[in-house]
Amino acid sequence: MRKVAIVGGGATKCGKREASWRDLVQEAGKAMFQSVSNLSPKDVDSLIVGAAQPERFVFQAHVAPMVAEYLGITPRKVLARTELMCASGQVAIRYAWACVASGLSDTAVAFGVEKMFMPDMAEAQTNMTCVLDREWDGVNGLSAPPFFAMTAQRHMYEFGTTRDQMAQVSVKNHHYSSMNPLAQFQKEFTVEDVLKSLVISPPLQLLDCSGITDGAAGVVMVPAEEAMKYTDTPMYIRGSGQASIGNAVNNLASLTEWVPLKLAAEEAFRTANIGLKDIDIAELHDCFTISEIMEYEALGWCEKGKGGKFIEEGQPYIGGKIAVNPRGGLLGCGHPLGATAILQTLDILQQFRGEVPKGRLVEGAEVAIAHNLSGPANVHSIMVYSR
Amino acid sequence: MSNAEFDKVKRPESIKLPLMLDFYPLEDTKTTGISQFFKNLKEGRLTTTKCKKCSRLLWPPRIVCSNCLSNELEWVDLGADGELYAFTEMRIGAPLGFVEDVPFCIGIVKIGDLLISSRIDNTKYDQLKIGDKLQLKIVELEDGRVFFRFAK
Repeated sequence: MRKVAIVGGGATKCGKREASWRDLVQEAGKAMFQSVSNLSPKDVDSLIVGAAQPERFVFQAHVAPMVAEYLGITPRKVLARTELMCASGQVAIRYAWACVASGLSDTAVAFGVEKMFMPDMAEAQTNMTCVLDREWDGVNGLSAPPFFAMTAQRHMYEFGTTRDQMAQVSVKNHHYSSMNPLAQFQKEFTVEDVLKSLVISPPLQLLDCSGITDGAAGVVMVPAEEAMKYTDTPMYIRGSGQASIGNAVNNLASLTEWVPLKLAAEEAFRTANIGLKDIDIAELHDCFTISEIMEYEALGWCEKGKGGKFIEEGQPYIGGKIAVNPRGGLLGCGHPLGATAILQTLDILQQFRGEVPKGRLVEGAEVAIAHNLSGPANVHSIMVYSR
Repeated sequence: MSNAEFDKVKRPESIKLPLMLDFYPLEDTKTTGISQFFKNLKEGRLTTTKCKKCSRLLWPPRIVCSNCLSNELEWVDLGADGELYAFTEMRIGAPLGFVEDVPFCIGIVKIGDLLISSRIDNTKYDQLKIGDKLQLKIVELEDGRVFFRFAK
């Protein structure tokens, strides 16, 4: 296996964009190529496109060659689209990494795009209801908010986690996204604001939920020994882990303990040869406030059931035990499914380069992880990066 | 103005909700190997498949045992009683087809060792609590297909 470096990347601003899916692709593609000197689209031999539901959101299949065409890329090695719902972008990164690491590809782009705002939002909600097993769970109206609402309810019931503690996750992540020019929500909120926001699916309220978002992003990967041709400040892929248990609600390992996240983390830390104490930045998948609380626990920063206390004590802020989501998270930045993991990765690169605003800069950060869950949190995927 | 021709074309004002977008499974023997599940439901019986070889109780029902790959599965009754394990209410963000039902309760129902998701009818969110006893309810679609829910 060759060591792989990420040498640059670019993204669109995320949010409710007055732009088509194709516009988003071009905007992010241009930003990506402009960020890497000495690289032309013709040098890219492989392109992996993370896209969760273009067939439903924009009624378009066979999207990888479309992205290639718009970006001026003529792949000669690997061209593919990846779908793993909320983790579609991370799978694009994993595949691009595997292609370069194996020697199959010498220059690969991992790209991600989602256009989620539709003229009729009930149609967008419909798309989100075929993510869980549609015939047995989706049929009951189980899209993401009701599913994670029940997860939150059980976590509150079993461990005494409070609404206030959940709200504090939203406050933290919006605090950081207020300093992120790419974020969908560049605005601070108080605990009171969160608790006064619309009830979506109790106990979850609007500000407990990541947004519906339009956005696109891409990063460029090359073998580590070639990295200095493109940049003085590459970022290295150190390891990776992914685990999945069950799919239908009945077959999950547990509603209140994310066992597959523990397994994915073990594998990621083993392959990267790091321990928890080595991690300076954790970009975690805060699709809902309860998710981040359960991730503190499963990753081992606090005991099972103590995630609420962990945020209450300010431990996941910069300067605390671990800086969690200094980008602003999905809660603050939005969640354009296929693009989300690429946006996390790009922000980590910018953290390592010292290119983010001071208020959310993790000074001297050397090692970071990016995590995504997907579906009913049965799948967890982690990448480990270092300066 | 150029000499381009202008014309108007029609698009349908509305279309019938496509079968795959109404969320309910297709049930007859031509479309699924677990048609028996729905036949049983029509008789008021909630059933699932159990492997005759390794004894694993499988939910959702299926045609091959995911534990030992045996095809020798039998239909077993799950009874009509359940206990509420978790619940919420769909207030905002319902998909097409369910918009008119809002608000409606959704739960996870414990039946023996199984945790089965279900709509929870005849109640409101504020009237439910974890551990509530629930009864099986069968709903029939206009085209004759059936599905199950639980009710308080």
